[in-house]
Amino acid sequence: MKTLATVKKEFLLVIRDPGGLAMLFFMPLILVIVMTLIQDNTFREFQESSLDILFIDQDQGELGKNISQALQATGHIHLISTEEGEPVTAERAHYLVQKGIYKAAVIIPPDATTMFKEKIKHSARLFLASYGLAPRPAKNKQFPPQNIDIIYDPVIKANYRMALTEAMEKMLTGLQTDWLITEIQKRFDGITGKKGGRINLSAMIEITQKSALEDDQRAIPLTAVQHNVPAWSMFAMFFILYPLAGNFIREREDGSMMRLRLIAGSSFSVIAGKFGFYLTICLLQLVTMLAAGLYLMPMLGLSKLALGSNYAGIILAGLAVAMAATGYGLFIAVYFKTAQQALSFGAISIVILSAIGGIWVPVLVMPPIMQELSPFSPLNWGLSAFNDLFIRNTPTADILPSITKLMAFAVLTLTASILVYKSRLRL
Amino acid sequence: MTKPVVEISRLKKIYKGASKPAVDDLSFCVMEGDIFGLLGPNGAGKSTTLMILCGLLHLTEGSVRVLNCDVGRQNGEIRKQIGIATQDIALFPTMTARENLTYFGRMYGLKKKTIRERVDSTLHEFGLMEKADTWVLHFSGGMKRRLNLVAALLHQPRLLILDEPTSGVDVQSRTMILDHMKKLQREGCTIIYSSHLLDEAEKICSQFAIIDGGRLIASGTLQEMLAGQKEACNLENMFLQLTGRDIRN
Repeated sequence: MKTLATVKKEFLLVIRDPGGLAMLFFMPLILVIVMTLIQDNTFREFQESSLDILFIDQDQGELGKNISQALQATGHIHLISTEEGEPVTAERAHYLVQKGIYKAAVIIPPDATTMFKEKIKHSARLFLASYGLAPRPAKNKQFPPQNIDIIYDPVIKANYRMALTEAMEKMLTGLQTDWLITEIQKRFDGITGKKGGRINLSAMIEITQKSALEDDQRAIPLTAVQHNVPAWSMFAMFFILYPLAGNFIREREDGSMMRLRLIAGSSFSVIAGKFGFYLTICLLQLVTMLAAGLYLMPMLGLSKLALGSNYAGIILAGLAVAMAATGYGLFIAVYFKTAQQALSFGAISIVILSAIGGIWVPVLVMPPIMQELSPFSPLNWGLSAFNDLFIRNTPTADILPSITKLMAFAVLTLTASILVYKSRLRL
Repeated sequence: MTKPVVEISRLKKIYKGASKPAVDDLSFCVMEGDIFGLLGPNGAGKSTTLMILCGLLHLTEGSVRVLNCDVGRQNGEIRKQIGIATQDIALFPTMTARENLTYFGRMYGLKKKTIRERVDSTLHEFGLMEKADTWVLHFSGGMKRRLNLVAALLHQPRLLILDEPTSGVDVQSRTMILDHMKKLQREGCTIIYSSHLLDEAEKICSQFAIIDGGRLIASGTLQEMLAGQKEACNLENMFLQLTGRDIRN
């Protein structure tokens, strides 16, 4: 009853403080949206290597067609051949790349197919002649140079440049082999006077890509929404210390805390009531942020937050993070004697813990030394649990190590809060 | 035959790091039904003594018994039977008078019906019924002071400790508070009253203790104390003779 009375009292105090309410719900919402919008492009680049490149086919033959198909088949390259409905010339392509409007251009020279085929035929004739199956062609036959140019913007990322060059080389090697074998087969047909069997030129060994997850359909890429919504939700939840410590210290300074201290058996109820109330606020913050990820962010052109299907795990993780955040806030409130000390230390410590924990940028892009520090931040435990649930759709058992650490942290800070509160009762 | 409600014997309190005691060899008794004036200049040790009585501070030496319970060992029992109104307005400003009192009533473990009845009756007695559902933030200084006292009375304590209960209030509120103190005395409540308003103390208190530098320098009824200071004609006069005219920090 005393604990419930404290919960009700805290509710009345918070509900009647519009500034505090805004800080609890509105500001974190703005923060998560702004951070997600800012980081959206970075995350897209991290996840996708899609590149718009100019494709100038002056050949208009089989070679250009094959290169075009092969590049587009990669799924990461989008070819652009026209500008405002007009075909882009080689000079214009040069200019556009030089100006940085496009990152790269592929230029297929005129008659490239004819020249390529001439070279293939010449090679086939030389090959058969070496077995005495065909007259030896003129040894000194010269072919004019026929290069396919790839023009790059100097600022293009190395991995993009490599991907484009490798895709071109792979395709040309394959095409060269294909055409050469076909030419040799045709010549054998002519020599023997009958149509022989054809070598199957489809790939003899195929490479397949598989997700490490059991259910590949559930694999969710780490987008700005997937990272920022749980990350900044936790940041906001840990910032519960601001209203918690603020109210607590105000009560201590205005004397109402002393009145409560003088009531027999009220210590536990006061702490438990505050803990219970702010725990609920933390959970409401999480629900608000997740709802923003599900419904508000898609309206802003961002991807929709994927929650996975382990709802029990999400509730458990949310509860564990809320407990850890409230416990920490309560400890700061009880330990520090002035609001200035508590709020300054509290705010700075959360910023540091969040930076270490991978809230600002994901742990995997941090330098190695920071990656080693990350597992010491409670925010990292929470973020790991949410990432496992949302991105990998893991069962609850897999997040139990993170949950256990968060719960232990909550119990530790809560116990320390009660002990410090009681010790301060009597000096 | 009245019984002692507070028995302080050779009390000593030295704060951590302090070079001299805040309270030293202090002994006095407060009898049941008294309004006991605990007086002294700033830094005399009044607040330290009151905090020890409530069990909020450890004592260094001596013994303190309140309502037949040992301070330190039976604080829970003591706290159930004492009420305290501090100099600070220990109320929640964005809660109404009724909400504040209901909350403290629930923390005292009173039943809902009892709380409702006592809140209504005390608010009425202290002239606050009309403002029962107004935020304390919007109260005048006198109203806050009266409500602060009401909050200390909700659980009907046997011993009431009042620290500057009339500080900063108008004559009407002061009169009301003092009248209620007398009414509570008639009803059997013992009151320890600490204040710098000596004319007020002279009017209302039946027993006094004057302390300075942590030590008891005079105690008894006003007549008993005046008898020891032949040149003093009233409490203030005697107080200045005993404690001097030097400004205290």
